[in-house]
Amino acid sequence: MPLLELQDIEKRFGGVTALRGGNLTVNAGEVHLLLGENGAGKSTLMKIVAGIVRRDAGKMLWNGSEVFLGSPSEAAAIGIAMVNQESLLAPHMTVAENIFLGREERNSFGWVNRRAITEKARHLIEQYGFPLQAEWRVDRLSPAGRQMVEICRAIQHGSSLLIFDEPTSSLSDSETRQVFRIVRDLKARNMGIIYITHRMDELRVIGDRVTVLRDGGAVHTGNLADIPTDQLIRHMVGREVAQIYQRDHLTPGAPLLEVRNVSVEASRLKNISLTLRQGEITGMAGLIGAGRTELCRAIFGVDPVDSGEILIEGKPARLTSPRDAVQSGIALVTEDRQISGLALRLPIGYNVTMANVERISNFGFLDLKSETARSAELGGKMRLKAASPAQLAGTLSGGNQQKVVIAKWLFRESRIFLFDEPTRGIDIGAKAEVFELMSELARAGAAILMVSSELPELMHVADRILVMRQGRLSGELPRGCTQEQIMKLAVMETAA
Amino acid sequence: MKINKAMLQRLLPFLSLIILFVALSIASPYFLTANNLTSVARQTAVFNTMALGMTIVIISGGIDLSVGSILGLSGLIGTMALERGFPIAVGVLIGIAVGMLCGFLNGLLVTRLRIPPFVVTLGTLGIYRGASLIFSNGLPVHKIPAGFSFLGEGSLLGIPFVAWMLVICAVIVHVVLEHTRLGRYAFAIGSNKIASVYAGIPVDFHITAVYAIGGALTGLAGMIEASRLMTGQPTAGQGYELQAIAAVVIGGGSLNGGEGSVIGTLIGAFIMGLLSNGADLLNISNYWQQVIIGSVIILAVTLDEVRKRRAV
Ligand SMILES: Nc1ncnc2c1ncn2[C@@H]1O[C@H](COP(=O)(O)OP(=O)(O)OP(=O)(O)O)[C@@H](O)[C@H]1O
Ligand SMILES: [Mg+2]
Repeated sequence: MPLLELQDIEKRFGGVTALRGGNLTVNAGEVHLLLGENGAGKSTLMKIVAGIVRRDAGKMLWNGSEVFLGSPSEAAAIGIAMVNQESLLAPHMTVAENIFLGREERNSFGWVNRRAITEKARHLIEQYGFPLQAEWRVDRLSPAGRQMVEICRAIQHGSSLLIFDEPTSSLSDSETRQVFRIVRDLKARNMGIIYITHRMDELRVIGDRVTVLRDGGAVHTGNLADIPTDQLIRHMVGREVAQIYQRDHLTPGAPLLEVRNVSVEASRLKNISLTLRQGEITGMAGLIGAGRTELCRAIFGVDPVDSGEILIEGKPARLTSPRDAVQSGIALVTEDRQISGLALRLPIGYNVTMANVERISNFGFLDLKSETARSAELGGKMRLKAASPAQLAGTLSGGNQQKVVIAKWLFRESRIFLFDEPTRGIDIGAKAEVFELMSELARAGAAILMVSSELPELMHVADRILVMRQGRLSGELPRGCTQEQIMKLAVMETAA
Repeated sequence: MKINKAMLQRLLPFLSLIILFVALSIASPYFLTANNLTSVARQTAVFNTMALGMTIVIISGGIDLSVGSILGLSGLIGTMALERGFPIAVGVLIGIAVGMLCGFLNGLLVTRLRIPPFVVTLGTLGIYRGASLIFSNGLPVHKIPAGFSFLGEGSLLGIPFVAWMLVICAVIVHVVLEHTRLGRYAFAIGSNKIASVYAGIPVDFHITAVYAIGGALTGLAGMIEASRLMTGQPTAGQGYELQAIAAVVIGGGSLNGGEGSVIGTLIGAFIMGLLSNGADLLNISNYWQQVIIGSVIILAVTLDEVRKRRAV
């Protein structure tokens, strides 16, 4: 008997049909991949399984009998846990408190024993070798850090089904390997695992069986070994996609942004120098915590620079706030779409024009028609799946939210683009569109820095790759370098 | 089916207003008289005007607890100016300017000191009230030209003058919120301040502007109140912040910021106005009125939260 069986699940949100014909069967002791385009309904289907969302129609069988789950704690009680795509952690609490939130041990006075919790959390973190501390506050963590806390939270109490919704979208190679280790470990204990990902290079490493969702319905299910990847992709997007993206590389023009010996004590950046040139896409690799995001923040005027200087088009620039940076023509596509990227409770259109409201206003009055038209146009270019520009950004699927963040900065028409993990959570079909938009920008004379933890895409898109390690630039590699060369520069060699 | 239900829930404040209106017409023969309705219009004008200002403040993610004190101070200074012989229009403008200045100060404190607006305006609630008492020595201003009563009590084309004022203010605030850059920034800042900073929006400037606008509208409300009472009371407006905030919240505004509308706020303010008018007509004591209004606030916000939670 399968562990979990979903039959013809349906779910509508207002006028939007998220699921119809959601079918899925998961056995104990298997890793079941759930694939599909952005907005296909993967997260919604899994939220139904985890008791976060209620289905409108269809059956959910758990060990053969039908269940109706009204809340995540009901799901947890029967042994279902989920690592969410967008972090649902309490920001002001510590890592340990978040891991055990709602399941704390209390003493006879009903007080939570913080020491015991911290101790248990430390043990768990050590066991899986995450770069985390039990006492850290969650709002100080990067998306990757929060993802690891989510994973600890899901695995700490004995479940029989674990759902991973894009657990590795913000992780780099070595953290990804940790996640794989966990998944294999859990599988060996005969748990059922559902694993959602947009990273095609992960599929064969981790999966046993696969189900593909398209437009809310299951269009393929079977053993992973029986189906080649390109056919899977065809099921996902319903068309042919060139899997490997190739772009014509231009000869770089004049330098637009020069960073000279920049150090930031607070974020441990040391003596960084780099130059971004017109028409060039500079890639940046490194492990989580190497300082790539911190460097973007420093350039963008978020964190004050302690020493060194930044030049824009050859002239020294004083960037003391993001506003200065934006006005000097810099755009930063932040890695964290829910915190620094989107106004979730506002419509898509508002978000797209947010960094450049000037462009749709005359004497302070807004041209709402042009806002709608332009955001629809940009959305179309990026294959945004949305009902209309009036849909609230928070109701979009994760990957579609990411597309709105990118659209916002394209609308700004900047000259220097810093993309921090731009394709995080974006499906294979739309990734190609994002890369195409990036090279379009380069052709039009923009300078681009692309931070990414996905080495294959860095190696295909970037003209050269800078590698960071522990707050310093550890080297530069030309186009055509190998994954091993990058990793060697990214990983610290410990003195024996 | 589903869509209809969602729409019904969104229309709930409006439907409640209509139901309340019909119920009161049946319950009391005095309710549906021209006299009573004009008096409701006059009574609610003060709260309505204040609540319009509060709408922008709340949308931008802030809150202003000092509006009651601002109302008192601007009414007082405005009438003091009239006492000194300034023309009526100038006196009213002075009242508005005082309100604006108070709001501006609130905004400056919020953006410069980087402490929560709840705390800042709790402090200025005391400061502005104290200032009124100091300036007036605790005594009301009485020597006011008779013509000043037109603002609160006069009529134009058979409709209370304050109702005209309210319509004009409401249209202006609506246009500002939905059709200008300032309004757009207010929504953005209220919905996600960090993202607004990253988008290069001059956040501090706009927060300050929003409080100043809210203050100006409160100043106007203060002059209306003074005109209705024909005195400048240093203690005017005590406890009004509750009414203003309640109107916004009943009308669908969110204290988390990023949500709210002029129409919603007006409906909210009228619901509160009808409730207190109805209670008067039905001889329900003042004490009970407070209990009823408090309960309505909780009920309205609960229903709204349920609707939003379902939508996610
Ligand atoms: N609360 C909501 N209100 C309206 N529409 C919603 C809501 N939640 C989800 N949707 C819609 O349902 C569809 C499916 O979303 P879902 O998040 O399940 O996609 P997904 O397959 O997880 O995509 P991604 O790969 O981008 O994470 C999307 O079109 C989304 O816009
Ligand atoms: Mg998803």
